[in-house]
Amino acid sequence: MNLFYLVAFLSIFFSLLVIFSKNPVHSVLYLIVTFFTFTIHYILLNAQFLAIVNFIVYMGAIMVLFLFVLMLLNLNKDTEPMKSNLIKIAGVVAGLCLLVTLVGSLRAVDTSAPIVLKNPGIGLVKNLGKVLFNEFLLPFEVSSILLFSAMVGAVLLAKKDPK
Amino acid sequence: MSALITISLLAILVLYLGLFKAKQALLPVTLIGLLAALGLAVSQWDTFAEPIYSGMMLFDKYAVAFSAITIISTLLIFLLSKDYFERISENVAEYYAVILFALAGIIVMVSFHNLTMLFIGIEIMSVSLYILAGIKKKDFASNEAALKYFLMGAFSTGFLLFGVALLYGATGSFDLEAIRSYIIQNPQQVSPIFYAGILLMIIGLSFKVGAAPFHFWAPDVYEGSPALVTAFMSTVVKTAGFAAFLRLFMVCFSPVQSFWIPIFVTFAALSLLVGNVTAVYQQHFKRMLAYSSISHVGYMLFAMISLNSESDSSVFVYAAAYSVASIIAFAVLIVLQRQVGNDSFDSFNGISKKNPFLAFTLTIAMLSLAGIPLTAGFIGKLMMFSRALAGYHIYLTVFAVLNALVGIFYYFRVIIAMYFRPAERNELVVSPLFKFVLAVSAIATVILGIYPDLITRLI
Repeated sequence: MNLFYLVAFLSIFFSLLVIFSKNPVHSVLYLIVTFFTFTIHYILLNAQFLAIVNFIVYMGAIMVLFLFVLMLLNLNKDTEPMKSNLIKIAGVVAGLCLLVTLVGSLRAVDTSAPIVLKNPGIGLVKNLGKVLFNEFLLPFEVSSILLFSAMVGAVLLAKKDPK
Repeated sequence: MSALITISLLAILVLYLGLFKAKQALLPVTLIGLLAALGLAVSQWDTFAEPIYSGMMLFDKYAVAFSAITIISTLLIFLLSKDYFERISENVAEYYAVILFALAGIIVMVSFHNLTMLFIGIEIMSVSLYILAGIKKKDFASNEAALKYFLMGAFSTGFLLFGVALLYGATGSFDLEAIRSYIIQNPQQVSPIFYAGILLMIIGLSFKVGAAPFHFWAPDVYEGSPALVTAFMSTVVKTAGFAAFLRLFMVCFSPVQSFWIPIFVTFAALSLLVGNVTAVYQQHFKRMLAYSSISHVGYMLFAMISLNSESDSSVFVYAAAYSVASIIAFAVLIVLQRQVGNDSFDSFNGISKKNPFLAFTLTIAMLSLAGIPLTAGFIGKLMMFSRALAGYHIYLTVFAVLNALVGIFYYFRVIIAMYFRPAERNELVVSPLFKFVLAVSAIATVILGIYPDLITRLI
């Protein structure tokens, strides 16, 4: 339990640093650390597949993509796009309203007694695969349309017109 | 299900046709395929429907009716696309395929029976639309539209997904029936997480249909995208968004109505106000249509605020009326943009002298959008208002009637410009396909207005 609190503290701490650091590259690096703490959370929950996917896809692939975009756009200076104070205040008010709503609803929730999982291996790859290819077969297959459409679109937008 | 498979395969077939340079075959093949999909969808009309693939989808009458109307609208839009995409670039087959993929996502959206399918359907549709909004690569407005739509859409997807996760956390299931039975079995102690989940779902879906106060992306995206894509967005996509919205709330959340009805009342009133008042100040036809589409979202939200067995048919009628009228408006817009290069209200001056047919059909469309009797739009508005009155929302109805009056003002500007402002102009060339679409849509609008029983009792 102590380990959980330590990791939870670290997640919140680093995600705050993501928001507050002025330099975009630092933000991305903090985001990587935040995702790493999430990976530890998944391992603590015995969700090994999620942990590995989170490690490889989010920390690896997506973060590299982020850094590439930052490099290409040359944003690595302490540039803050100009925002008027009004927009900042509006953003803070809107965000805090959402926070109050969520906290308000979560406050009413009782913490349940620690649940002993009926099946402790529920997060293992084997069980996940069984669920995915039995119950959730249709969403799994239909996702292929999503990926294919995105692929066609990406090529379409990135290709140079001969004209 | 067979309609979904047909449309997906059709999209791949169209891609192959593009690969083998069969440019002439693209449109006929697409139209025939869509007709086949329509036939397959309608053939499931009166069969005994039950959830298929472990409760993932349900092709009941509701799903079939909305699939049919989205497929028909897409057909009409494809008829307008002759020579349209060729002017943008060489990759016509890909554009067709992406529109068809969006339609496949829409079929999933209107027939989902599981929140995972809802999410995947919305994503297939949205991703395709982000691409379609940006197909004019050299055009700054189109780039802006695509980027804005993508950022806003991705953000709202986050809300939607968070909502789905919270609902799952509260009920332990993604299945619509299971969520409903959870509410019915625990009437007193529905988990607070569940309410937070409903709120986030409302936010996410309101973004997708463009209801105020989550409408900020809509005007810029609708204006920046190519006109044909805007036509697709504001007819087919909006219909599908509402179909999904209503299905979710009718099947799942109706036992906790008292929680979310005030939210929808606020959204409806805000959408009406924002849409109508800003539309009055627009000088361009396309932007006026964008803002008026926000106000139509407001009217359609009326169906959500007093749910009963008639809500679905009222959304269906309104969506059908709005879609056919908008398709006429966008067809005229495409003709104008191509031949005049301008869509301000002044460019409509004197059309009635040279193109009486064009002016007449556009007049029918504007009357229908404004909700004048003997057009389909009137029946749609009537059903929506009676829904609101059935829930005793009298002030909201009065407010909506006032807004409808404001609407008449800006829709009639177009008619007045066409008929009463003479101007020297050349005759606009309207191709036979355009004439066909205009005639079919105008006839449908009038027939539905005179004899609404054709579709009001369908679902």
